[in-house]
Amino acid sequence: MVKSLKYTYEHHYKKLLLIPFIILILAIVQIGIQTSITGDFVNKGVTLKGGSTITIDAEDVHVSITELDSFIRSKFPRADINVRTISSAGSVVSIAIDTDAQEKSEIDAVISTLSDKITLTKGNYNVEVMGSSLGNSFFKQTLIALLIAFLLMGLVVLIYFRTIVPSLAVVLAAFSDIVVTLAIFNLTGMKLSTAGIAAFLMLIGYSVDTDILLSSRLLKRKEGSVMEKIYGAMKTGLTMSTTTLVAIFVSLIFVRSEIIKQIMIILFIGLLVDLVMTWIQNVGILRIYLERRKKN
Amino acid sequence: MVLKKIITHWKVIILLVFLLFAVVSIRPQIFGSEGLTIRSVAANSSAAISGIGNPSSKLMPVSRERIISIGGEDVSSLADYYAQTLGLEENKTVKIETNKGVYTTLVTVDELGQTDLGLKVYPAPSSNLRKGLDLEGGTRVLLKPEEAISEENLEITIDNLKERLNVYGLSDVVIRAASDLAGEDFILIEIAGVTEEEVKDLLSKQGKFEAKIGNDTVFFGGKKDVTSVCRSADCSGIDPRRGCSKVSDGYVCSFFFSVVLSSEAAERQAELTDVLNIESDEGGQYLSEDLTLYLDDKEVDRLRIGSELKGRATTEIQISGSGAGNTQPEAVTASLKNMKRLQTIIITGSLPVKLDIVKMDTISPNLGKEFLDNVILVGILAILSVVTVVFIRYRKIKIVLPMVITIVSEIVLILGFAALVGWNLDLAAIAGIIIVAGTGVDHLIVITDETLKGEGITDWKKRIKNAMFIVMGAYLTTCAGMLPLWFAGAGLLKGFAFTTIVGISFGVLIARPAYAAMIEMLLKE
Repeated sequence: MVKSLKYTYEHHYKKLLLIPFIILILAIVQIGIQTSITGDFVNKGVTLKGGSTITIDAEDVHVSITELDSFIRSKFPRADINVRTISSAGSVVSIAIDTDAQEKSEIDAVISTLSDKITLTKGNYNVEVMGSSLGNSFFKQTLIALLIAFLLMGLVVLIYFRTIVPSLAVVLAAFSDIVVTLAIFNLTGMKLSTAGIAAFLMLIGYSVDTDILLSSRLLKRKEGSVMEKIYGAMKTGLTMSTTTLVAIFVSLIFVRSEIIKQIMIILFIGLLVDLVMTWIQNVGILRIYLERRKKN
Repeated sequence: MVLKKIITHWKVIILLVFLLFAVVSIRPQIFGSEGLTIRSVAANSSAAISGIGNPSSKLMPVSRERIISIGGEDVSSLADYYAQTLGLEENKTVKIETNKGVYTTLVTVDELGQTDLGLKVYPAPSSNLRKGLDLEGGTRVLLKPEEAISEENLEITIDNLKERLNVYGLSDVVIRAASDLAGEDFILIEIAGVTEEEVKDLLSKQGKFEAKIGNDTVFFGGKKDVTSVCRSADCSGIDPRRGCSKVSDGYVCSFFFSVVLSSEAAERQAELTDVLNIESDEGGQYLSEDLTLYLDDKEVDRLRIGSELKGRATTEIQISGSGAGNTQPEAVTASLKNMKRLQTIIITGSLPVKLDIVKMDTISPNLGKEFLDNVILVGILAILSVVTVVFIRYRKIKIVLPMVITIVSEIVLILGFAALVGWNLDLAAIAGIIIVAGTGVDHLIVITDETLKGEGITDWKKRIKNAMFIVMGAYLTTCAGMLPLWFAGAGLLKGFAFTTIVGISFGVLIARPAYAAMIEMLLKE
């Protein structure tokens, strides 16, 4: 079993290349479908698309903030919820509940749930519907910045290794990693927060690390055969990924903050995707490149 | 013996020196610090009159003045403070003890009839690290446009306010459009670490800045007429010619700064001054009309125009104003604050509509104290799990120990830098720290493998060089990926990219080379 896997990996690397590309195409299809159904390429949470804040006079709230927080979360497990206090002159005057509810029906649902814990009268609460804190141009700006980022990364790798192929491979791997992770994230049904965007960008860093390691070992070292170099790089690369995956896994168990949890989940998915993108996609591309270089 | 060799290696010494700097700038108060730190002192309040000064914004959090007791009773929490100040009797004096002295203050009553000292305080910080909006909360301001405005104008207003706060130096800000169920528009702003007084003017002022000669406008604030505003020390600051002077109840200081006008505005000035007469006054030759500066239709200053400027299209103009205080240093601070505000308004121009402040409160953080405790716990557990995996792979304490030291050092270096430049730690910064620690481990593993596998190569220098080639390649590529996000990205992305670049730079340039030196010496044995 292991032997035949090893044989396939060593000899059918061109066919194996199909795997990452099929995954990438499926991911792009998923994002396309998501966009056409919901109008957005990702489920956006309250920090990205806005929502509403329900402010209640503190004197009418007789439950603790943490209790209220976990109560609402348990009633709306898929919603993006935050409970905060507003104080004036050192004492709490009201409780603010941020949710991603924007439609009147959604807001009414939250209010009627709240009525189970707090007596709400006309005068003691307030509802404000908020827009996104990021502004309309945020995603456009981010996409342009990402595009320039990919170009610059390609350029740096090009200067560093003085060949075009590894540079394209590094950029392709980072791009595939982000796109595929985004598609998988969409399938989980989670709602993306601003911190989640940071997590997607962090994937650039992780993806680059393994790809540069691979390119350096494969292109710059003289001793050993191609396969020996790949296995050498893989030993180091897998240690890197394993330590990070284990650390993320442990964090996921103990972390209580939803936001950090989201960062960790995105990184976890991204690192798994990166394994395919580095050790199948990038390896395949570099091997084809080395073969052609030999022939010429 | 090895230990001595390690500690005296220059790469390790550099790391230690930087670590020392980092700890000094963070200044963790291990035994806690008592009392409440003064955030601001209201002008002309009883506290200000008794001599308590406004803290300079340049002071590190830990170095600020702290109130220890009021009327002989210790204050250790905000609840204590408000309970005690509300319990004070009007028109009697009370002794306020701070870590810097004892003040005798007359108790007065505010407009609501409550006893008030005019102080804004907050729990004494435990280090110089400033926590951002996500972690410590901030001031929440609800603004309402004075008249109904279009969605487009609302957006322009929001962008302008955002820019205004940024130019003023506040970056940890969330601004959103909001509306109540009746459909009325509001703007909701949350700002970290400011006093209400400080931002009140900045937000509620429409910021219509006008310079007039007679009844004719020479130029307006904003980018169309003013192409640049000087904010460096050589062409802005306390006016050396006017300086500070003593007035009946304190001091007044004048500030100045120069601005560059667009050519159209300069032409307009030439046309307007051309028709004016020349007068002699106080030993100088001046034009018959002054250049009058208005902010939101109120006159803020009046400048004489030298006769040599008659009919000339000068693009550089000096703007001035003043600030007052009880003591001279206070007047200087107030004057510079006013200058900064006026500069901000001239740079960002006028809002499409005047805004009223509906409410101004303090809002608790999204992520509270429990969050931070939990993150620290998770961080420690994550490091432990890294240690476990690395130990299983290498089975050498000689490798694992330096690795842990290096990772922890990198985190301390980032925090030290954050404390030094006074940047707010928020979620973006935490995300940045996670990525720095994560890629840090990656690089340490690369360095370890390169040095271990060197059977073929006996030369240590060559091994380290091989390792650093990979590390530098990854570093440069990641930086290339982060730079556009830093420059082109918005708020959150900026913070994330900045922390990441700073963090990996410290890692790659200082901590990781030291690690290479450490394991080289340990493994050679």
